[in-house]
Parts: sequence; structure tokens; C-alpha cells
Amino acid sequence: MLSCDTYLSPGSLDDALAAVAASDGRFRFVAGATDLLPWAREGRAGDVHVPLLVDISGIPDLRTIEPRDGRIWIGAATPFQRFLDHPELIRLMPGMPDCAVWFADNQIRESATIGGNLVNASPSGDGIPPLLTANATIELAALRDGAIRRRRVSLVDFIKGPGQTEAEHDEILLGVECDTLEGYGGAFEKVGHRRSLVIAVVCLSAVVRLDPSGTRFEDVRVAIGGVGPVARRMTDVEQRLIGQPITAELLRACLVGCEQFVMSRTRQEYRKLVAPGFVARGLANAIERAGGSPDACGIAKEIANG
Amino acid sequence: MARKRGRGMAGGWYGIARTAAVDRAGTWVEIDDGGTVKVVTGVTEIGEGILTVLAQIAAEEIGVRPEDVVLGDNDTARSPEAAHAGATRQTYMLGNSVAMACREAKGRFVQAVAEMWSVDPDSIATGNGYVWAVDTNFRQSMAQAVEQIKKRGVVVVGSANFTAHHTGLDPVDGSGRPWQAYVFGCQVAEVEVDTVTGEVQVLGVWAAHDVGRAVNPRGVEGQIEGGIVQALGQGLMEDYKLAQGHTTTPGFAKYILPTSLDVPHVTSIIVEDRDPIGPLGVKGIGEPAMVPTIPAVMNAIYDAIGVRITSLPASPERILEALAKQRNPTISEIRSHS
Amino acid sequence: MAELKIETTVNGRRIARRVDPSQRVLDFLRDDLHLTGTKEGCGAGECGTCSVFVDGVLVKSCLLPVAKVAGKTIDTIEGLAVSGEMSAVQKAFHKAGASQCGYCIPGMVMAATAALRLNPDADREEIKERLGGNICRCTGYQKIFDAVEMARDFLNGKLSATAFDELDAEDGKYIGVNVRRIDAPSKVTGALRYAGDMVLPNMLHVQVLRSPHPHARIVSIDVTDAEGLPGVEGIVTSVDVPGQDGFGVFVSDQPVMARDKVRYVGEPVVAIAAESLAQARRAIAKVRVEYEMLPAVFDPDEAMKEGAPIVHDYAPDNIVKHIPIRKGDIEAGFAQADLIVEQTYETQQVEHAYLETEAGLAYVDHDGVVTVHSPSQNITHHRHMLARILNLPINKVRMIMSPVGGGFGGKEDMIYQGMLALLTMKTRRPVRLVFTREESIATTAKRHPSRTSYKMGLTKDGRILASQVRIVYDGGAYGMSTEGVIRKGAILGGGPYNIPNIQIDTYGVYTNNTPSGAFRSFGSLQSQFATESHLDICAERLGIDPFELRLTNAMRKGDATHTKQPLKSSAMSDVLEAARTASRWEHGAPNIRGATRSDLAGEGTRPSCTLSPRAVAETPAPKLQHEKGAA
Repeated sequence: MLSCDTYLSPGSLDDALAAVAASDGRFRFVAGATDLLPWAREGRAGDVHVPLLVDISGIPDLRTIEPRDGRIWIGAATPFQRFLDHPELIRLMPGMPDCAVWFADNQIRESATIGGNLVNASPSGDGIPPLLTANATIELAALRDGAIRRRRVSLVDFIKGPGQTEAEHDEILLGVECDTLEGYGGAFEKVGHRRSLVIAVVCLSAVVRLDPSGTRFEDVRVAIGGVGPVARRMTDVEQRLIGQPITAELLRACLVGCEQFVMSRTRQEYRKLVAPGFVARGLANAIERAGGSPDACGIAKEIANG
Repeated sequence: MARKRGRGMAGGWYGIARTAAVDRAGTWVEIDDGGTVKVVTGVTEIGEGILTVLAQIAAEEIGVRPEDVVLGDNDTARSPEAAHAGATRQTYMLGNSVAMACREAKGRFVQAVAEMWSVDPDSIATGNGYVWAVDTNFRQSMAQAVEQIKKRGVVVVGSANFTAHHTGLDPVDGSGRPWQAYVFGCQVAEVEVDTVTGEVQVLGVWAAHDVGRAVNPRGVEGQIEGGIVQALGQGLMEDYKLAQGHTTTPGFAKYILPTSLDVPHVTSIIVEDRDPIGPLGVKGIGEPAMVPTIPAVMNAIYDAIGVRITSLPASPERILEALAKQRNPTISEIRSHS
Repeated sequence: MAELKIETTVNGRRIARRVDPSQRVLDFLRDDLHLTGTKEGCGAGECGTCSVFVDGVLVKSCLLPVAKVAGKTIDTIEGLAVSGEMSAVQKAFHKAGASQCGYCIPGMVMAATAALRLNPDADREEIKERLGGNICRCTGYQKIFDAVEMARDFLNGKLSATAFDELDAEDGKYIGVNVRRIDAPSKVTGALRYAGDMVLPNMLHVQVLRSPHPHARIVSIDVTDAEGLPGVEGIVTSVDVPGQDGFGVFVSDQPVMARDKVRYVGEPVVAIAAESLAQARRAIAKVRVEYEMLPAVFDPDEAMKEGAPIVHDYAPDNIVKHIPIRKGDIEAGFAQADLIVEQTYETQQVEHAYLETEAGLAYVDHDGVVTVHSPSQNITHHRHMLARILNLPINKVRMIMSPVGGGFGGKEDMIYQGMLALLTMKTRRPVRLVFTREESIATTAKRHPSRTSYKMGLTKDGRILASQVRIVYDGGAYGMSTEGVIRKGAILGGGPYNIPNIQIDTYGVYTNNTPSGAFRSFGSLQSQFATESHLDICAERLGIDPFELRLTNAMRKGDATHTKQPLKSSAMSDVLEAARTASRWEHGAPNIRGATRSDLAGEGTRPSCTLSPRAVAETPAPKLQHEKGAA
């Protein structure tokens, strides 16, 4: 059970940072809260007393979704459901809806936030691979010498290991800035032990942009999660494909060596079997959604079907 | 195709009520004011719908509507023993016991009404809350009849005990009569196996089960559908794990149950082979519903991809592992010699 | 303790309260507002029994700190029925038979309501997806989907309100009619109170200290620190048991709380009653127990070996029971067989996972009767055992069954009722214990894991001549229902087939694993899984259709069972024919013919679930030149 003495819901970043500055350091930030209470239970952290909980989900800066410098800013307190119903996000983040529909369930998607998914830094966090393919940059804020210090870190550098991030204890994750991927086709592949409320054993995000004929890769971005301490971009795969026409030989060749991304200590054999299959399937689905020509789609599907 | 389909089937059987031991259930009934019926027995509704089943039986036996029946709570200080909610025994043991008690109460009620109307008791009929004497103008609501016979000094009660005479097993060769009623079932399962992930989806199950006599067919379907999904959970995903006696699956995030997206469409076929011993012909369905499911699904997986899962659950990991072994035929676990 | 002032609107009523900031919305609704229709199933957002609307959005109230609803509107299951009339969704659940134990149903009704608000035209597949956060353990979901579709069609004007009505039986014949469940209205409205929903004045809350070790001698138990804590009213250990401290269905080997030694992780050692749950938990943390480790055994085959650690002194071979069945001469049968197939099978330990965790409320009444309300599947037997444990005349012990939020056998074996009785006798106050989900999973009985060795001999034309079956069941640390489980596993283990020569041996074995107990289908699920898998292998080897193989051997009326009992009737052939016909089964041996079957994907199947279509439908693909050209 989680217990606290004080629960604050500051209305501004200033107030939030001031509250933690005034505390003795024994506090936790709360956003969607969907992982906070389950964490303080038997089998995980057990009974936990946190004197101060600071709920940052109401801070306006954390709730904005807007274009910024040719990219898109997504406030940290944006719930996953927005990737399924926010028109701009749908248009600019084609890798996300498929991920969101797999994320937890309809109810948790309304509460769980993108920022929470990132600071949890779970090796199987669903939101991380698609954000990696969007070259996400994290913005953090903390009070330093009486002033707000903002800093930006690439997502690749932000997550350091299971549950470990670049954020300092009193730093608030404000949001992520992502490439706009309009015109890309996106896919998200995930496997666990069932089809709803499921933790990924392997998950993969693929986004693809094709040339106007729908037969050649202009851009390919693939990231895999669940198979190691942190989710990673599969740059070898990407490099082999970018600029190339979609052929069976090419797709087959890019699958070779995919299993090297599997670093997990458990279920290693299983993950190694799934990884190449997911690359093939993710690419096939992304090609189709990117408007691939019937031939290109057919070739990719055939490879995906083994 | 990476997604392969197949079908399998399996049979099964089950015994009704307590195993290899005498089983018994007692009931008290009163035909009460307002033409309602009070049924008191040690009934335990655990979700299977037994309260509704007993209300239907009492309603038909007495001649009222199910909503006129009041079932007493299960309380060791207030109700007769009807033993436990398990062993697929409630419809059989309590159903028959309630029917017998209702018949006794109804016999007394009919006698009292016949005396009041001065007609032959054999001419009295009841149904849907009314009592009448055939070929006469005597017809009253049960409420009126109860009021009038109470004025004549009669409170109508009945009681009964239903016994199943089971015997223990011989300690050497196991011979014996563990049950007096048996039920049989057969299920066909259709699956789709994703050979990239090893996931198995059960898309359809056709389940034919002998229940003796279905008191509430929709309730029987509910038991079959629920039993199949529970079995499917064990067949495909559920796995309580221990490491040196400590569980590693302490919550529902780790102990995986089937969700609405993991279940097949179920087609139930109710077969009624009436029990020749009990007064109602009913038997049961609670437990037998889940018996054929797992082997039917495993046999369907074999049909689809040619691997036999003999160690449960058939998790994605086990499926891919088995497929990998299949590609390497030097590994074979099934021994046979002709 | 700091307090938080909350103003909120609940079911249309404005409410201002000072609350404990540690509370969840679930606690606020249940404990402060007495709205117990919202249930707790897991406390971790994994089951959906606690779903409520906050500002019209469905959320899981166990995940929500109470501060998050300040200034917001909450709608609970109690608010759905407007002026006492059930909503269309509730009526449809009633009519369709969508509720069984009912514990998931308030949350499920809320999720169904949300689904139809979000998309009034949702098809069955979308309905399934929108209910994906709500677990039901009883129904298999099918009647729930039917109900949501029925409500949808009514709300869209495609179905008249009379569709929800009860059908009157014409001639008073109600047996065989789909009468609506009489308990459904109380379940779909959240009115039904389970044990964990009940409160009594001056009630104390119970928590249990459990063994952290699989096998250890208890050297000492020191409760002095716990006794001194505020709110602590009673502490009991095995020394407080006045009578015979042992219970079980077939062998009374289980103490109310560990006596002298612990035999599994999670075994109760000390129980404490305090004014509040938090105080009871704090007191539990202050109890000091000194253990001396003992070697433990976790595998039943290991446990049966000479020299294995002994779990119970009365059973030095660790065998709870062996059930033998012998008929005919198996060696003679195998000698005549054209085909002999051998194979081993294994099944795992499985949790009942009823959504209502174990819970109970106990008090001593004015006549000195120790009364226990609990969702017990067997109050008759529990009363017998409890009277012996408490050393009371049997009419001074009263067991009352509270509504059971799922049982499946898991509430048949007595588990915690003894601790409640002891604490209420000691404190003379009502006491209540509600298991957490983790406690329920880790400490209560499971389905017996099993290992089966199967050997079957058949003729070329598929007649079974002999079967030899040996099954070892892991009973875990206590006997519970093990003897009955392995007996049923043995009796039914040969399958419903006429087999002239059969030998079955089942063993129940003690280990230091979580105890195994009663579980729906009671040992026969394990043995028949083996039989029916085995027959498929045999059918393939013989090139015979699996239905034909079973029809050849099916028990018929008058045939003797494996226990030599002549059957008064048998419907085995009937169910085989019925399933074959209904499924439009394509005749053939089970030789991996999925790829060529003609009977797939027809009526009676659902579409494969890929999830992505909904996401894709909401994200139109970019139009490339080649498509524009074609358009």
C-alpha cells in the first residue's frame, strides 16, 4: 500500500518545483498514477510511505501538443489515448496509433501518460520504440540556484537502463519533441501472453516512407523493445534498406543478424526467434500503410509470412 | 502463411456429486402467504445459477412463477444440510431434493384445497400462481387459496432428503460405484497459430455435453462457455510459478488470465440423456464443461503446425521452441513401437 | 495525519469531505461513501472490477489517488439506474444471462456503458476490444458480448424494449425454459454485498503475518512490539487454539496458524486485529519470528525418494494417498496390441483467480454463538471443523455463506475462517479480513500440477486393448482435497472408453510448494488431458479419424467402467455425433492436415484478433502517386 502525508496538485511548473525544493527530498512526482499504486504492493515495493506526492499532471506546459521548430511537441502528461484520437498526432505520428491500441487497455490509456512511460524506463515500455523512430528529444526542468533550468536530452541518451534515466530526482520531464512523420506508414508489433492488458515480451516499431511509385524505401526507421535492458534503433537494418528498391532479396538480407539485438537474460531463445519475424512483419505492415505498390506489398508480405 | 489454422477434438466424462461416498441434501418448503413459496436448503450460489434453477424447479412443481419463490440463505443455523457447492452436484442433489420437498408440500396443499372445495384431490391442478379443479368452476389464485386454507388451520409445509448411494473404492483393485450418474462431453476446437510469435488463438469451440436435462438452457451454455475459457487459460497462458517455494507470479500482471480478446466463439450443443434414478432426470455441467477443452486445443495445434504440446501451458515460447525442434528432427519425444 | 479537502460530485450529488490523502478513489467510494458496488479485484489496474466514470471517462478507481477527483464528477454503478429503473445495459445483462458470480459485473457494466457511449454502433469485435480491461472468470465473456449487442440494438432502435422482458411459461412448465437469473438485478446494479462489502459497528480489521520460508522450524514468536502499537486489539497464534488444531477434507493435517513449523511460503503464522487496516499492517511488520531453516522439497518425484525431507511426520514417505485401479490383465492386452504408444504429459499449477478474493466477517452473537460469514463453498463441513478447532458444541458455531464472487473449488477448502473465529472470541468484537490479490494468489490452494506416464495398446482397427496410466500429483504442503482429487483423477483417467485391461495409479504427494486443493474438474482435467492427447497420437498412427477411434471404444449402456460399475446409461456416442455434426468436421486422421482442411473459418468461429485494424482505420495511409494515377 502506498501512503503519503501530503498530496499536492500544483497548477504551474513554478509551484511544482518550489514544492519539491521546500521538501526534505522524500517526494515522488505523480502523473497518470497508473504505475504508482501497483508499484507499492506485495511482490514489488510492498508498503511504501512517501511523505510528499506532487501531481504534475495538471501543469499546463505538460499538457500541450503543438508544432515546434518543424517538429511536434507532446507534453509529458499526454495520455496514450490521444495518439488514437488527436488529429494532429495521428497525422504526424503514424507509428503511434498501432502502439496505443496495444497499450494496456481502453481505460488505462486514458490515464497513463507518455512521460510516465518514459521515466519508468521499463525495457518493455511500449511507447519507447515508436518514439525512438521519431528521434524524440526529451525536455527536463529543475530548480537550480533559484531559477528553472531546462535541458534537452535525446531519448537514446535519456534511458540508461531498466528503471534508470538521465533525469535527476527533482527534475520534471516536461515533454518530448518528435520528428513529424507525415506521409510515413507506421506499424507496431507486439507479443506477450495475451492480447489485452499485456506486457510485451518483444515489441517493435517500424516507420517507412516510400518514393512516389511506392516501390523504393526513401526512409526506414525500426526500433525494437523488450529484448534487452533498453529499447534500441536497428540501424543496421535501416541502413540496408534506405534508398533501395523493395525486393525479396533485400528484405531477406536485412533480417540476417537481427537476433543480435537480443540482450535479455531471460527467454533469450524465444526473443531471438521472434525478432527477425517482427522486423519482416513490421516492415510489411509499414510498407502497406505507407502506400506501397501492390507488388512491393506482396513481396514484403511474402517475406513476413516466411 | 505465418498464421496457420487447424482443428482438433477430444472427449471426456464426469461423475455427478460426491465421489465414492454417500451424498445427501435436505430441503424444507412452505407454501406461504401471497401464494409465494419459501424454499430453505443449504444452497450455495457460487455464480452457476443454482438459485434460478431451484426457483424454476419449485415453480413448476408447486405451480407458481419463479419470481414467487423465495430461497433461504445458506446458514448452518437456519437451513437443513445440503452439503457443498462443488462436485457438479447442486442441480442433481439440491434440484432433486427441492423437487421432492415441493411434491410433498404440494400434496398437502392439494389435499387441503380438495377438502375445502369438496372435490377429488386428483382433479386439482396448479400452474403459474393459480389452483383449480378440472371440469369445475373452482379456480383461485394461490394467494387466495393459501389464505383460505390457513383459516382452516393448515400451514402447508414439506420436506425431503435426496440421497445418492455411492460406494467407496476397493483399496486393492479400485472397484466400486463412485457415482450413480455420469455425464459425457465432446469438444472440437479450431485454432490459429502465429508461427512468428508462437501465439495460439482459439477461434471456435463446438461443445456437445450431456447434462441429463437442462433446467435453464442459457445457464447451461453459460457454464460451458465459462468452463471452456477457464480451461483455455490453463491450456495457453496461466502458469503459477514457484522458485524455491516463492511465487514469481504474485499478481494479475504476472499471473495471466484470458481477456475478452483471447476467447473463442463457443457453440454449445446440449444433449439430454435423462438420469434414470433421480425424480427430475437432471444431472450437471459445472466441471465437465472444461474437461475436453485443453486436449481439443492441443490436438488442433498439432493439426495446424505438427507439434504436440504435452506440457502445459502452450505458451508462445513453448510453441516456438517446439517448432524449432520440429525443424531439427533428431529430437523426438514420442516413442512408439509397432 | 494530514487531511485533504475534496469536493466532488458523485452520482449527481455534490459531496465535500476531508479525506486521507493516501486514499484511492476506490477507498473513497467504498469506505467513505459506502458505495460498495464498485469492487476491488486486484488493486493494480489489472482486472476492471473497480471501473467508474470520472468526468465521463472510464477509469480504474484502484489506480487513482483521491486527490485526482477534486472538482470532478464521478459516476458509479449505483448511479446508472435512474430513479430505480435499470439502464438498457443493465437490463440486457439481466436478460442475456451475462452475470454469473457477479463480482466483475459492476465494472463490466460500466465498461459496456462506456463502449456504447464511445461508439453507439460498435460491432462485436470493437466491443471485445473496449472490454479488454475487464476480466471475467466465470462467463467466458460470450453472454457479456451478447448483452452489449442487445443493449446497442435497443439503444439504436433496432430492438424493442420487450426484448428484455421475461418470457412466461405457457403451461407453468419452467424446467427447460430460459428464465432470467433471479440474482442478476442485484449483481448488475452493484446492490449485492459480498463479505468484503459488509461492515459491522466496532468492527476490527485483520491482517496476517505469513511465512517467508518454505520449510522452517519456528524457534520463537515475539509480539511485544506489535501489542503496544495504537489500535491493536488482538493478536493470535497457534497457542490460542483451544481445541484440536487441525483441519482438512480427508486428513486433519493443517493447523489454523503454523504450529511448531512452517511448510510453505505464505502459511499464516500470526493474525492481528486492529482498529484500522493500516494499524493492523503496521503491527504485522513489528512481529518478530525466529526461524530455523529446514531442508525443503519442491518436486513430488523427489519427495517420494528415500531420504527426501519429510513434510509431515505422520507420512514419512511424503505420500498423501495412492489410488490403484486394476481391471483385466494389462500385460496380456499389450501382448495382443498391434500398436503401443507411450508418452508423458505434464500440467502446471493454476490459480482459481476468482475476482472476489477470500474475505470473511466474524462475530460472537448474544447467545455466544461464534458466527462466521464467508464465501464458503462448504459451510457444513467448515462448521464441523471449526467446532473441533474451537472446542465448542456444534450449535455454538454458525457458518453463513456470503455471496460467492467465484469459487471454482477454491473456496471449498477451509483457509482463514479459523483465524477470524479466534480473533473475534479474543477481542469480543466483530472482525473482518479481506485478502489482497497478492495474498490470494500466493497463499491459497491451487490446481494440482501433475506428471503422467501413459501407455496404450490398440489393435489395427482402433480397439483399445490395454491402458497403463501413472500420475503423480503435487499436493503441496497440506492434504486439503488431495485425496479426493487423485481419486477422481484415477476413476476418470482411463476416459469414457471400454478398455478390457487397465491399470491406473495416482499418487498425491506432499512438497513444500503452495498447497494444491479443490479446483473445478478435480484431478480429472489432468488425467483426461493425457488420455485425449494420447488418443490423438494413436489415431494418427493408425490413420483413423479421431471421432471414429472414440466411437469404436465409447462406453455404452451396460458397459462396465474402469471401476467395474455397469453404466445405467451413456451418452458418449451421442455427444461425439453431436459435436461432429455441429462443427461440420471433415473426416480424416489427425495427420497435420490443417493446411488442406475444408471445414475451417466457417460459422461458429470468430475473426482472428490483430488489434491493428482499429488503429489503421483511424490513420488513413498516405496517397502515393501510383495510387492517385489509378484512381
